Amino acid sequence: MNQKRTMTLNLTEQEMRVLEEMSTQKDLSKTALLRQALRLYQLVDVRLSRGEKLFFEDEHKKEKAELMVL
Amino acid sequence: MRDPVQIIDCTTREAVEAELFDEVTIEHFLETQKEWRPFVVAATKLLVQSGASAEIVPSHFHWDWSRKEADLRVLAFSFFGIARKEKLQGLMKLQTVGRAGRLATQKGKPLVYVDYLETAPWNIKPLMQALGKRPQFAAVGTRLIEAAVRKSLEEGFKGRLALHSLPGSERFYLEVCGMTALVPDPAKQNLLWCEFTPAQAEKFLTGGAA
Repeated sequence: MNQKRTMTLNLTEQEMRVLEEMSTQKDLSKTALLRQALRLYQLVDVRLSRGEKLFFEDEHKKEKAELMVL
Repeated sequence: MRDPVQIIDCTTREAVEAELFDEVTIEHFLETQKEWRPFVVAATKLLVQSGASAEIVPSHFHWDWSRKEADLRVLAFSFFGIARKEKLQGLMKLQTVGRAGRLATQKGKPLVYVDYLETAPWNIKPLMQALGKRPQFAAVGTRLIEAAVRKSLEEGFKGRLALHSLPGSERFYLEVCGMTALVPDPAKQNLLWCEFTPAQAEKFLTGGAA
């Protein structure tokens, strides 16, 4: 169940820069960060498919915007 | 994953072998409904009949694991169980995404969040003592928290871990496990947020807490 499989991932310079910046900021390896991204994407997808909605809320401006996930 | 772990038989006070596993299924959830809940109902009746306070009944008694069945297929969640001779002794649900540290030293850094952790009612010391009995097994919760820390290490979170503790479990998390308490969280029924730093998690894993 927990056996891992390997894949090659091709990223642009910019994507790689963001990945490196975020992994430093979050104190994670690049692999761990990408696994987090996959988990979050699936979690959001599952909850949207259950009919829930995803919002960003700005407490200061009292604004709420729905995030559409494809 | 199926690993042998040791828990304590409270009758003989000796370590006995149990099995820690992550292949949790709906069958395990149903076992909590079939075995754990009736035990607590029967215990509560005895306590009330004897005039003892029913406040000793675990505050997580209403948890319905079977409602978490859909989460078994979501990568953001991991489940672990401990069984002794095929009988479920403890169950835990972890969230491995979307949670971050609140301690100043690890603010914003991802961690494993213990969403639910429950031991079988016959292993809950205050409940069994109120019934005039010994608990059957000890160290089930400790083994589950160890598994959660290992999951954090596996995820690359360096052992960082957090949970909201029920009032009756605060002493276990703070004194036995050595977690740091933050303020009660108004967003979660004022339950106490407890957190492990990597150093605390390592000390817990290597310290041999029982």
